[in-house]
Amino acid sequence: MPEEYTPPASPTASFYDLSEDDEEYSTITHTSTGRGVKLLYTKSKVYVHPTPSAKDNIPGFIALMQQKPPTSVAADPSDPVNPSNLLLAWLPESAIGTAYDTYVKVDLLDTGTPPKQTYLVPPPPISSGSSPLGSYSFSIPVSQIYSLLVRPPSLGWWWGSIVINSRGGDSFPALFFHDSECASTIAQSKARTKKNFDPFGESGELFWGGDEVLRWLKRFVKVERSQVEKTVYLIDPSKDDLLSFGQRPVIDSTAGKNRDAAAANASGSGDFAAAVMDPFTKVIKSARWSLLEQFAKVTQFSRQTATNMLDNPNLPPQVRKLLKNPDVVSLQDDFDSARLYLARWAMGIAEQSERERAKIVWKREDMMEMEDSAVGEFEILDIEAGNIRGDGDRRRVVDLKEWNSWWNKSTGRLEITADEVKERIFHGGCEPAVRKEAWLFLLEVYPWDSTKDERAALMNSRRDEYVRLKGKWWDDVSRREGEGEAGEYWRDQKNRIEKDVHRTDRNIPIFAGEDTPHPDPDSQYSTIGTNVHLEQMKDMLLTYNEYNTTLGYVQGMSDLLAPIYAVFQDDAVAFWAFVGFMERMERNFLRDQSGMRAQLVTLDQLVQLMDPVLWKHLEKAESTNFFFFFRMILVWYKREFEWDDVLRLWEGLWTNYLSGQFHLFVALAVLERHRAVIMDHLQHFDEVLKYINELSGTIELNSTLIRAEALFYKFQRTIEASDRRHGFPSPGTARPMVRLTHRRTDSSTATTSSTTATANKGKAVDKGDGPEITDQLREMLSRDYVRVEKKPEDEEGKGKTPARE
Amino acid sequence: MSSRKKVLLKVIILGDSGVGKTSLMNQYVNKKFSASYKATIGADFLTKEVLVDDRLVTMQIWDTAGQERFQSLGVAFYRGADCCVLVYDVNNQKSFETLDSWRDEFLIQASPRDADSFPFVVIGNKIDVGDNKRLVPQKRAMAFCQSKGNLPYFETSAKEAINVEQAFEVIARHALAQEEAEEYTGDFGSSTIVDIGADSGDDGCAC
Repeated sequence: MPEEYTPPASPTASFYDLSEDDEEYSTITHTSTGRGVKLLYTKSKVYVHPTPSAKDNIPGFIALMQQKPPTSVAADPSDPVNPSNLLLAWLPESAIGTAYDTYVKVDLLDTGTPPKQTYLVPPPPISSGSSPLGSYSFSIPVSQIYSLLVRPPSLGWWWGSIVINSRGGDSFPALFFHDSECASTIAQSKARTKKNFDPFGESGELFWGGDEVLRWLKRFVKVERSQVEKTVYLIDPSKDDLLSFGQRPVIDSTAGKNRDAAAANASGSGDFAAAVMDPFTKVIKSARWSLLEQFAKVTQFSRQTATNMLDNPNLPPQVRKLLKNPDVVSLQDDFDSARLYLARWAMGIAEQSERERAKIVWKREDMMEMEDSAVGEFEILDIEAGNIRGDGDRRRVVDLKEWNSWWNKSTGRLEITADEVKERIFHGGCEPAVRKEAWLFLLEVYPWDSTKDERAALMNSRRDEYVRLKGKWWDDVSRREGEGEAGEYWRDQKNRIEKDVHRTDRNIPIFAGEDTPHPDPDSQYSTIGTNVHLEQMKDMLLTYNEYNTTLGYVQGMSDLLAPIYAVFQDDAVAFWAFVGFMERMERNFLRDQSGMRAQLVTLDQLVQLMDPVLWKHLEKAESTNFFFFFRMILVWYKREFEWDDVLRLWEGLWTNYLSGQFHLFVALAVLERHRAVIMDHLQHFDEVLKYINELSGTIELNSTLIRAEALFYKFQRTIEASDRRHGFPSPGTARPMVRLTHRRTDSSTATTSSTTATANKGKAVDKGDGPEITDQLREMLSRDYVRVEKKPEDEEGKGKTPARE
Repeated sequence: MSSRKKVLLKVIILGDSGVGKTSLMNQYVNKKFSASYKATIGADFLTKEVLVDDRLVTMQIWDTAGQERFQSLGVAFYRGADCCVLVYDVNNQKSFETLDSWRDEFLIQASPRDADSFPFVVIGNKIDVGDNKRLVPQKRAMAFCQSKGNLPYFETSAKEAINVEQAFEVIARHALAQEEAEEYTGDFGSSTIVDIGADSGDDGCAC
């Protein structure tokens, strides 16, 4: 049984009598009331920010206090302190009165050792928590704390903060740690640096006041950091949580006062109970695609029905409550960063609650409801326990043994189909050892039907060709001396390349070193030094200019080359793999940006088709330029994921297994993941951009890929359904399309016409008109990627110096 | 439509790639310098609250990709700017020479109501590198600023936090003045819906 909500222990009978001195150490008394609590730890200069204006900030103390256990409980000094006797409190400086000196003293104690003295202070007011922003000062028994939302100081948010959420569903006002004013934090930070030469806290981030609070709590209770949402720390999470969800703590549904208990029980008796109760990831891994797709659809559906997050019954009550608080609402309106902060924070909660929702999502009623809903367009697939199988195998990483088993031992010819290989890599990715070979096929250096000998011969000639291409600039002394227009252009290119190579993936070991003296004394980096791999990168990029004479080096290309080079660590091989990659990426770098525009427009249409409600919102927020996906599309999420994830993502995309433009489904998956937050909190282009930019480093790759795949299938079926309805194919009909823009057409007119077209789209689905499918959308069903058409007049930039590039 | 009562000052930082735009912004907002910033792709911004003559304002500082090729997308975030900061590297001649075209590009894309009075501030960055490497003499830079209508000019080091605070104080002041001036004349520019394809005409082809 989940842990029941228990009311807080009555504090009235449990204060230490200040005159009572039954401790083995001396007791400092301070107040006239004669009753008090032990002040165990406290930290000064912790503020409540009741309004956006800094002058309204209220300084105070956060404190951990111990009240006397109720007398009925036999006091055993060896017993650990019962968390219900501990109070976490915040008191404004102004309310502390004569105890101020005691607070200051305790603040400055060395928290590394147990206190030698007991400091008694007047009991804090016990707050019901019903008006958290009204009376500000509060205290809560630690046993009643459900979770802490901990946000360390970070870029753009210069005070760390903690929000306390109670088991009863209340949230207390955010406490901001003004570390630069807090004597104890400054001292602790200094001591830390001195002792360990490590200014960082336990989390590896910069030490700040909030770390101390977590440390206090960890002495008495179990503090579990959520694996999923790193800002959430659960206090004494229930056993059920840990049992049901393995090592992944989640929001306990009991936090919502058992509102879901009945539902959970109901679904628990269903056929798919086992899957439901399993960790989310396990469901995902073992489920059939049809099931996953269904899941994505249902999730989508339940989101759409919630008009906004505030009314979403699946949202933990503490969040709903906080967001509804008028003070918070006005804070959101006035203060952009506060809104972003809240948005991100709410997302953290939503992330957790989604797991919770997974329990009830599978109810039969939901399924029935869906059939009647807008998504009734799609056939509802049977979901049976028996269907959940088999997928785990597909998502297994391709290791060298498996890879080798596909090739004939003597001829080196592929013995299964290329599609089968692609399917495996698309779903499972490659083990590092496999990449050196597999990538050459994926990047079209080797044909799939080649033999070992053919490949060896091919590579020999490619090596020769690389040397020849490199020689074109290497041996061209006059160009390298910067003579004439060609020389000036070359030097400019070299400078650009050098500048970027020196700031590309320097955290990756092979690119980190600077111990080789720079070969060119005139270089801007001559004083810093370089390493052989950086030099190879520069040479390859310069050589690419000899191969593709029209493009020129553009920022982002070094980002694309680095992983390829790092995998092969052989310049000629890496070069040709890069050439293969650039075949599809070239359009991202065109001078007129037409390729980027085309993709952003396609993404725009994709969102219109797949999620018109979200699209409407983005339109209102003037964000349908989708510029906030620019970086992700330009360098294929290189800046959003960690290195290893980038390799895994790219090799999957290179397979074209489902679509030559699967990266746009990844974008859609990212967007859908954050849909609720965007809809509820982000109303302007700048907010959307900031939010999406800051997703960098937080996106979980595997679930994103699964979501993207599910979205692709849904997309495919939307189009099929539309075609069936319209008796497609009907080529050349005058039927108006959502956007009949071709890649290079001026889309300003298209935007206006599409606005009207899509305004009706949601209804159109119901009325049976069906969505209109543009050429660009249809193109996404193709497994070919989009290449830049080579036109003879595409001569710009060739060998000459463009005015500004 | 906007319920933002607070004064938001939008500042755009422009200049060639590698002159230190990201570093300047981070030094000013976060008081941090890192040698390992990556080339900026797309655009991003940081906000900072500052007091300008006892008025609390929020500066929204936009950092953009330095490669010209990407500027055609700039219209998406130039709109509504209150001040534009033009940055060059004092050790890089070319980055200085392109200042003028950065300014022109900005005026075209942001199309402020009164281009002549729109505030620009010029920053010569990387003065920490050392005099022997310096390629743009201060005199020359000042002459340029004078010729463009007495643009305020600062020489900074984002790395060593020299003059950064001072420069941004002036930037904030100019931006606030601009914002207040705009209030009288209403929103500037047309109410063009930002569209990624709307400006596909002749953007990059200034090249």
